[in-house]
Amino acid sequence: TAGNKIFHFGACRVSMSMTEIRTGFTAIKANIQARDPIRTLSILSYPHSLHKVKSSDRCCITHHLFDFYVDKVFKHCKTEDSFVNRKVSSIANSFLSMKRKLGQCHEQNQCMCGQESAEKFQQILANYEGLNVTSAAMKSLGELDILLDWME
Amino acid sequence: SGELYCSLLNPRNVHFESVNMKNVLHWSAPEGTGNGVLYKVKYSVYGVGKWIRKPECRNINSTWCDLSSETSDYEEQYYASVKAFLNGMFSDWVETTRFNPLTDTKIDPPMVSVSSTDKSISITLTAPEKWKKSPEEESISLLQVYPGLQYNVSVLNKKTKKRWFFSISNHTLVVPWLEPGTAYCVSAQIHVSAPLLDSDFSKDHCIATLKDK
Repeated sequence: TAGNKIFHFGACRVSMSMTEIRTGFTAIKANIQARDPIRTLSILSYPHSLHKVKSSDRCCITHHLFDFYVDKVFKHCKTEDSFVNRKVSSIANSFLSMKRKLGQCHEQNQCMCGQESAEKFQQILANYEGLNVTSAAMKSLGELDILLDWME
Repeated sequence: SGELYCSLLNPRNVHFESVNMKNVLHWSAPEGTGNGVLYKVKYSVYGVGKWIRKPECRNINSTWCDLSSETSDYEEQYYASVKAFLNGMFSDWVETTRFNPLTDTKIDPPMVSVSSTDKSISITLTAPEKWKKSPEEESISLLQVYPGLQYNVSVLNKKTKKRWFFSISNHTLVVPWLEPGTAYCVSAQIHVSAPLLDSDFSKDHCIATLKDK
């Protein structure tokens, strides 16, 4: 589809369309981030930025993060705004298809998980579980550009 | 009895204006206030606890504050906040939305230089540099910040008004098979697909191909 790009995660090569996700997120970014009053904590960047993850661990972290967003984030982001809800479900669908593609790499052992990615992902889960579900999900959704910037 | 009105109305429209990652905080004065209002500014890195005051923007009467230095790490995101005060009264702190230098900056058009032979035009494009603290500091091209950066180039034959568009990744382009002794105008734009950022088109750079030998 338009905007498809090949992402290289070591031996794993995945074609993904980021443009739709970016456009969708940009349309709701201010709305979603305004619902997150907590400035002092970041789900993805605390205490260390995703940019510090070793390249060998990129595939595993990305795979974990797609699972995280599909399983723990999007379903808790219902709002009273139907426009926002539509954009969120469109982003969720894109993540679902990317999650499947990365899952194939995982099954073919092309997406190795080292200690660093395990620790980093545990930290992300700890940050998430440190808040109530709705706040944690809304904050995670508001940080989608952090994930996209890092991936791209 | 009338209540003593001690607080000042808030500054309005507090936002970042960013070009090539020169990140300047702007706001409007509280409604109905003339001169004499002073302001102070603070900022914070998203995900990190504390607010940090900007000393150079303390007790200022201008309605902007350059936070480029404080927000130069484009892997981070930021908030900034402004408070107004006048004759012992003061407003609330008013915050920006979350500012992401990587996606929220505007990119200037590329620099364009052209040369010609009798039948071709050579175009050289240069992406703008990221803002830097001082001239001595090492320059970082926006090409390094946005590896997927491309150029959209428009070439217009001034006589026939025919126009061509090219989309290129490297910074040079030779347009062959042109008419000798004819004026052509070149304009270029920067296109970044991830995140989605487009500059304006540059102004026209016109040149004539050499007359036939």
